[in-house]
Amino acid sequence: MTDARVEVSAENRSVRISLSGEIDLANAAAVEDEIREAVSNQPVIVSLDLTDLNYMDSAGVRILFTLASRLQALRITLELIVPPGSSTRRLIELSGFESLAALKPARP
Amino acid sequence: MGYALLVSTPGEPSDTPAADDYRLRRIESVTDAALAHLDVEDLLGELLDRVRELLEVETATVLLLDSSCQQLVATAARGIEAVVRQGIRIPMGKGFAGRVAAEKGPVIIEQVDHTNVLYPFFREHGICSLLGVPLLISGTVIGVLHVGTLAPRRFTDDDVSLLQIVADRVAFAAQSRRAEVDRAAAVVLQRSLLPARLPVVPGLEMAARYVPAENGGVSGDWYDVFTLPSGWLCVVIGDVVGRGLVAADVMGRLRSVLRGYALLGGDPAEVLGRLDQQVQHFDPEAMATVLLAMFEPSFGRLHLSSAGHPPPVLALPGQPAVLLDVPSDHPVGVPGGLRRRATTINVPPGALLCFYTDGLVESRNTSLNVGLDRLCGSVVAGPVDSVCAEIMARLVGDDPAGDDVAILVLRLQDSGEIGPLDLVVPALPWSLRDIRFAVRRWLSAVGAAPRTVADLLVAVGEASTNAVEHAYGPGGGTVSVHLELQMPDVLATVRDTGRWRPPRGENRGRGTTFMRNCSDDLRIDHGPTGTNVVIRRRLGEEAPR
Repeated sequence: MTDARVEVSAENRSVRISLSGEIDLANAAAVEDEIREAVSNQPVIVSLDLTDLNYMDSAGVRILFTLASRLQALRITLELIVPPGSSTRRLIELSGFESLAALKPARP
Repeated sequence: MGYALLVSTPGEPSDTPAADDYRLRRIESVTDAALAHLDVEDLLGELLDRVRELLEVETATVLLLDSSCQQLVATAARGIEAVVRQGIRIPMGKGFAGRVAAEKGPVIIEQVDHTNVLYPFFREHGICSLLGVPLLISGTVIGVLHVGTLAPRRFTDDDVSLLQIVADRVAFAAQSRRAEVDRAAAVVLQRSLLPARLPVVPGLEMAARYVPAENGGVSGDWYDVFTLPSGWLCVVIGDVVGRGLVAADVMGRLRSVLRGYALLGGDPAEVLGRLDQQVQHFDPEAMATVLLAMFEPSFGRLHLSSAGHPPPVLALPGQPAVLLDVPSDHPVGVPGGLRRRATTINVPPGALLCFYTDGLVESRNTSLNVGLDRLCGSVVAGPVDSVCAEIMARLVGDDPAGDDVAILVLRLQDSGEIGPLDLVVPALPWSLRDIRFAVRRWLSAVGAAPRTVADLLVAVGEASTNAVEHAYGPGGGTVSVHLELQMPDVLATVRDTGRWRPPRGENRGRGTTFMRNCSDDLRIDHGPTGTNVVIRRRLGEEAPR
């Protein structure tokens, strides 16, 4: 089974979700569930950190799109932390996701 | 036979020729050569029958010492079979049998009462007098033989001597049975625990040898090779202190526990630390030296930690072999050690590593340093089977092995030697991870640029995901992945034998975009017999687009 870790830390009105490991078809639904549980309707901003993600393909990008559209409906801002030059970054750029969320190069 | 008559002769004088003859016949009846043909179970029963007849006693019992708990366990009985059926156990030093064992000499009880026996067992069975002698092997007590009578009886010195002769015979039989059982069990255990076939890992050649010591059975040497879900490859070699079944049993536990702890993650020092804690708590008697080496998924780097185990040998192509500089920490099972250390080394393509147990380099005739020098002199970065053969020939040779010898040799193939990768996996979501690991390893072994690796992982991953998701009905099928070098490119083919249905759900179809962007050339052929996705991507720098 593909392994991914979803770590959540919340402070004030922001939630940071760090994904590590790998995401593919085998675990995408489980990862999506974990992310959904981590976000209540309270935060103003959700920051998704993909720095430690070793592999992601369209199954993972699909999670991002679903999350973005839900957060948009809730008026919660989404930002992604994805290192420039990484494979994950390239896929996100290719998918046209930039119009839905700000891409940040590194953790603050 | 005559002895039964002679036994019943009343008032037998003790120092006449007739008495000597009588004694001799009594002894012959229990040292009878015919008894040698019986197996041990039958022999014990037969000896007890004969001793009952000879000594005119109603009961005869053999108790063997279970050294792990220092208790005497009723093992064979005549007249009071219930002692065996009820699993009677007597602590050393307690009761009648316990006294015989503790005193290592004969004990006689003429009148059984609650002060001189531990359980009411004898009294309940109406036993009145008892004579017991120890079962001794080279002065060590391994059990007790005792006889009992329903009527009061005064046992004579002759009775004691005769019972001791029988006891010696019983001791020998019991000992050889125990040794036989232990040895058979240890061999079975050892066989079942050492991997009969090493895992097939693309890009890596492996060979191993295990030779038990010639002077008796096996000990606790072991080696193990396994992959983790994260793509890391673990190599273990270890040596449990001790011999025989006990050592083999501890080895079995260490092997499983170490696998489990490796699964939890962490560097090899952390994994050995957990193993150490586990052994100290649950197996405080056990001690072992262990070397754990963990290859990163690319195989390019190796992380090692040693719990008192001799360091592996590294040979690079065209260079003399050297001992790796791995700091040795305390063995597993030794309390109070300092923090364990892990070392990281780079392993270039073509490198060969040799892991071994000390039986290979230590012998009565040569010092450790000589053994290690000789080992380094025998190892080259060549084919693993010939390296194993060379090591065994030069270090073991014609000498009988005084200690177990285990060696495990691994070689990273050079990019030029790597053949195509061929994988056939079930078209199921959890196969995707396996495909990725195999592709990552293969690309790393052929020296693909990092960007090429990342791109091909996505392209092959998307093609495989499509086959998993869209090619088959509930009956399922397989996905084949083939990678080969067509310099300067890598050609990857992902094939299924089903019929793709159109993508379903929102946000689907993105996979094809990714495939196209991650390859220099992409062809998708949907045919009546299945779908072929052919991806071409440059092996070295730089990317398309």
